[in-house]
Amino acid sequence: MRNIDVDTLKGAADMSGDDALFEVLSPWAEADLVPMEGLTAPRLNDLNGKKIGLFCNIKQASSRIQPVLERRLKKRYPGAEFSYYRGQAFSVSELEPQNIDKFNTWIDEVDTVILAIGD
Amino acid sequence: MPGIRSISENVPCESTVKADIETGVVEVIDQIIDALTRPLTEQEQNPPPMDTEEKSRIVFKGSLEEVNRFFYRRGWGDGMPIIPPTEEAVAEMLTGSDLPPDHVVTEIIPRMGKATVEKIAVNAVMAGALPTYMPVLITACQTIMEPKTRFDTFEVSTGSWAPCYILNGSIRKDINLNCSSGTLSPGDIANATIGRAMGLIVKNIGGARKAIEDMGVLGNPSKYSLVMGENEEECPWEPLHVSRGFSKDDNTVTVFFPNSYSQTIPMQTDDKGILQAMINNARGGGMAGFLLNPPHTKYLANEGWTREKAMEYVVENAVTNTGPGIPVGESENAVRKVFSDTSCIIIVCVGGPGVFTGILTTAGGGAMSTFGNEFVTKKIELPKNWDKLVAKYRNVIPVYEKY
Repeated sequence: MRNIDVDTLKGAADMSGDDALFEVLSPWAEADLVPMEGLTAPRLNDLNGKKIGLFCNIKQASSRIQPVLERRLKKRYPGAEFSYYRGQAFSVSELEPQNIDKFNTWIDEVDTVILAIGD
Repeated sequence: MPGIRSISENVPCESTVKADIETGVVEVIDQIIDALTRPLTEQEQNPPPMDTEEKSRIVFKGSLEEVNRFFYRRGWGDGMPIIPPTEEAVAEMLTGSDLPPDHVVTEIIPRMGKATVEKIAVNAVMAGALPTYMPVLITACQTIMEPKTRFDTFEVSTGSWAPCYILNGSIRKDINLNCSSGTLSPGDIANATIGRAMGLIVKNIGGARKAIEDMGVLGNPSKYSLVMGENEEECPWEPLHVSRGFSKDDNTVTVFFPNSYSQTIPMQTDDKGILQAMINNARGGGMAGFLLNPPHTKYLANEGWTREKAMEYVVENAVTNTGPGIPVGESENAVRKVFSDTSCIIIVCVGGPGVFTGILTTAGGGAMSTFGNEFVTKKIELPKNWDKLVAKYRNVIPVYEKY
């Protein structure tokens, strides 16, 4: 078997004309690129005196991580407050119509958000 | 998509062990504080545009072995040898559809790859499928992308869920789908390659890479193929698709995502024994497909059980004291129904003679589920040249050696 570089196809180009060779189509699909939006949420100068949102996704480990984070942050920033939000369903955005009012109410109450993904 | 500052911690995946979480949080807390307080950079606020993809339609030329090595090393295979998708082979596969090759059937998650008819055909050739399976594959692509299947969750989950495709209608016979003895075993080209082609489609069109997007912890052999047809010819009930609102003349595919398959033996094969076996073995996360063999289905029907009545009986009587929603230490007193309502189960008459009953279990289903998933059935559209196409491939069947 000839030595073919799978990235450059070097070594495969001289095979034309041989009945035992197969010229093959790509199974890999085209996809539209999703443009990356920039970060817009302003950063805080100090966490003291601020209300920190702790978002738990629906995985069980997430709701175990956030209380530890709260306790640790509270030690460093005694003046910080914390507010929890739990995701409503697997793979369903909080911006969906059934969730958005509850989510927006919560977002308006907090100064910054930490999302813990329980995976 | 919106940008975000992300920090990877070392808490083991899905762990709830307190010591692990404490250590993991302590390790990254400075990074978390930094992410919340460090001013945004210009690049974070205005990220540069991503490079556009330019892919060749023809990607390689080589021998059978070289093509196989090339595809495998690109991550385009499933570990089994492939048939080279040459221009000629793909053209033949495309005879299985009236749609133009560049027609986008759907876009498949997670990368929203465009499932054109040609890309479906390329993957079908690789799997060893026949052109008569194209209508099934096209419909299967559309079906998995129906929001109610919740493929977006099942595909990337740690739970190793595999798509199960159940066919109804005359197409089962047209394509020689095995609906009888050993329907889920290897050996029948339709049962084997429809599932295999869909596995390749999900990987190569959808872009679901193992251990990157597909995070199944243990994996699942059913991802190679889990395709069956209801044994309508031996089923005393109206076919599954008719019970789900379709016409008897329709061809359909029904999809859900189980992650385990078990078989059991009723201690008695009368109607009560069969139903009790279904109830006793009803486990899992809230949804199940019960596979009843034709003799057992007839026993039920002979005693007046319709498919719907049997489903109601199972839902009413299947209870558990373990599983999701029941905390550790409370299992003795906490008993709940396995299925919240009849939308959480299906009963399929499938297989050949014998005593075994099969159960495919999955998660979610019903009003109490946070998944919001359902069994989804979709009609298969056939091309105009269907009869001619069927005639061409009808004799692709195994004829065993005599001894």
